[in-house]
Amino acid sequence: MFDVILQAGASVLLDPVTLGLMGIGTLAGLLAGAIPGFTIAMGVILTLPFTFGMSPIQGLATMMGVFVGGFSGGLMSCMLTGIPGTPSSVATTFDGFPMVRSGKPGLALGLGLWSSFFGGMISAVILVALAPQLAFLGLEFGPWDYFSLIVFALTITVSLSGDNIIKGLIAGLLGLFAACVGEDEINGVARFAFGSDHIRQGFAFLPVLIGLFAFSQLLSDVEDSAKAKAPLMKSSAEAIRVEHRKAIATVLMNWINLIRSSFIGIFTGILPAAGGSISNILAYDQAKKASNNRNEFGKGAVNGIIAPEAANNATAGGALIMMMALGIPGDIVTAIMIGALMIHNIIPGPSFIQDEPLLAYGVFIAFFAAHFFMVGLQAFALRLFLLVTRIPMYILASVILAYCAIGVFALHNITFDIWVMFGFGVIGYFMRKLGFPLAPMILGVVLGKLAELNIARAIGISDDYSLFITRPWSLFFLIMAIVSVLFPFYQNAKKDTSFTKMYVPISMILLAIPLFLMGSPVRMVVGGILLSAGCYFIYKRSSILKTI
Amino acid sequence: MTNNKSDIIIAIFLLCFSGVMINDASNIRDLGFEGMKADAWPRVVLWLLVVMSSVMLGKSYLKFKIVSDKDNENFSINLAKFKNALICFGMFMLFLSTLDYLGMLIGGILFVFGLLTLLGGFSHKLIVKHLLVSILSIGFMWMVFTFGLRVILPEGEILRVW
Repeated sequence: MFDVILQAGASVLLDPVTLGLMGIGTLAGLLAGAIPGFTIAMGVILTLPFTFGMSPIQGLATMMGVFVGGFSGGLMSCMLTGIPGTPSSVATTFDGFPMVRSGKPGLALGLGLWSSFFGGMISAVILVALAPQLAFLGLEFGPWDYFSLIVFALTITVSLSGDNIIKGLIAGLLGLFAACVGEDEINGVARFAFGSDHIRQGFAFLPVLIGLFAFSQLLSDVEDSAKAKAPLMKSSAEAIRVEHRKAIATVLMNWINLIRSSFIGIFTGILPAAGGSISNILAYDQAKKASNNRNEFGKGAVNGIIAPEAANNATAGGALIMMMALGIPGDIVTAIMIGALMIHNIIPGPSFIQDEPLLAYGVFIAFFAAHFFMVGLQAFALRLFLLVTRIPMYILASVILAYCAIGVFALHNITFDIWVMFGFGVIGYFMRKLGFPLAPMILGVVLGKLAELNIARAIGISDDYSLFITRPWSLFFLIMAIVSVLFPFYQNAKKDTSFTKMYVPISMILLAIPLFLMGSPVRMVVGGILLSAGCYFIYKRSSILKTI
Repeated sequence: MTNNKSDIIIAIFLLCFSGVMINDASNIRDLGFEGMKADAWPRVVLWLLVVMSSVMLGKSYLKFKIVSDKDNENFSINLAKFKNALICFGMFMLFLSTLDYLGMLIGGILFVFGLLTLLGGFSHKLIVKHLLVSILSIGFMWMVFTFGLRVILPEGEILRVW
């Protein structure tokens, strides 16, 4: 094992080309994260075409740089201008911007930078420790369990991605349907091709993704003529000298907040679809609740910067755990990474770490290394960011639209792929306008073929459909899927209804059942704890209900 | 843009779309092998889509009836709001339709220049700026992909003849 890690380390850290590419990727991520209107996902999508010609490790290391850089780039714009560069840095604005306004911009940027660094490092350690273990767990899964896991991933994406759950479900189903078009994986029969040889091959993943996400986003960005013609930011922000030493000392002094926020980020990242946009707000809220000086929050509190920045970078590690161990994307960015791996003929899954140890450990090492690049390149990125923000959006959008076309063509050297991108761009644009979340559709496209393959395998092995609920892991994921579908109703329901009072305890009791069925002592203990806690809450809350 | 009226229209569109696709699913060949047929999974997805679209239609219709008529009348599609998006669609379609003749280099430059000018304005200074941006950006990308990444981008009839 140790020699594999050494080899992987050498392929990343001793290869100047890989290091250079990772540096460029990190810089691109820092910029993509900093520019309002651009997202980390968009940065990774636009980097993808460049990676076709690279080796898998070089391609993944480059994208890892964009991924890590993107999470940290958001702090530059939110601190200097008060506008969050990405949704994952919204909470940083609450205290980062006031601290800059109070005359401490160097410290504010330093705190954000080093919190991101330490949060990322903590999540990297957890990633290396947990991903192989979770992959071993994944080896227990049969096709029934995998299918149910995909159902859970889709339902939780739907429940977390918007207010309208029906629209989310429709978006997810449209994604699953898009994945059905073309020859089916099992029999090789053409479906919904309407006589076209191109459609018979199916829609390639990348054009669909670029169309749905990047193309539609660019169209939304230039919708307002006045805004499109104005520079991206009218701020008079200037490059600032970051106070590294003071910032490191302050972050380490608040280590409890740092660790708590990092773990919130990791946990949120592990949940499919719950990305940095949720973790930074959760961590900020917890830091505020735990603080003795709550009144300071919103006025430039140190912990108000540490919490969201540590959490959003730690989310990246959490999302990678799911991707590396089970092949299930933790968020849109890891969904794109799975697509990138597929382009290089690598299918992530429970056996990925065992089958491709060099690549897997290379990704772990690249994730570590990207954080050092992020710290080293922040000052340069800050200067570039100030330059880029002088460019009007319509210029950036026009050039990037043309770049999308070239990048998509480079995948298979066929013009049809550009038409696919255009078609899905139009669909994505109108879906945005009509209030349909795009995340479930993207996950549907990514997981559609996998879902079909697993259900076909399950039916091929046995025609007993009850296995979907009698196999413990499958039952566990199906219960999780039902719990996640009901979650938005729980959130929106009034506090005093019996549904809101019973939602959590009944969920706990239901989840305990498959854990007991698994038979292993540890899982039975966890199941016992869940069951006891659920029963206790029901007893307590039903007595409250009676008194009401 | 969203409103109960638009949701009703979308739900009806989705129902029609699902209907057409379910109908087309009957054309999927059955090879006679055991196990799951090629049309089974798409049918499941499409029927679920029918159910969800029907729920959306029912919910939107009920809300539509509750909300006062005045509120519903206020809904209109403001095409002016989508002017820039429509320009992008049009220009991109034109770019794609002429790609075989103009090639990626000339077509790309014309696309970026046209789009920049239509979105940004027509003054002399702007036209020069847009021309420079389009030539430099597409030229740079073309060189990176052609010489750096060894991708054979569409040459087009004009460059081929020339």
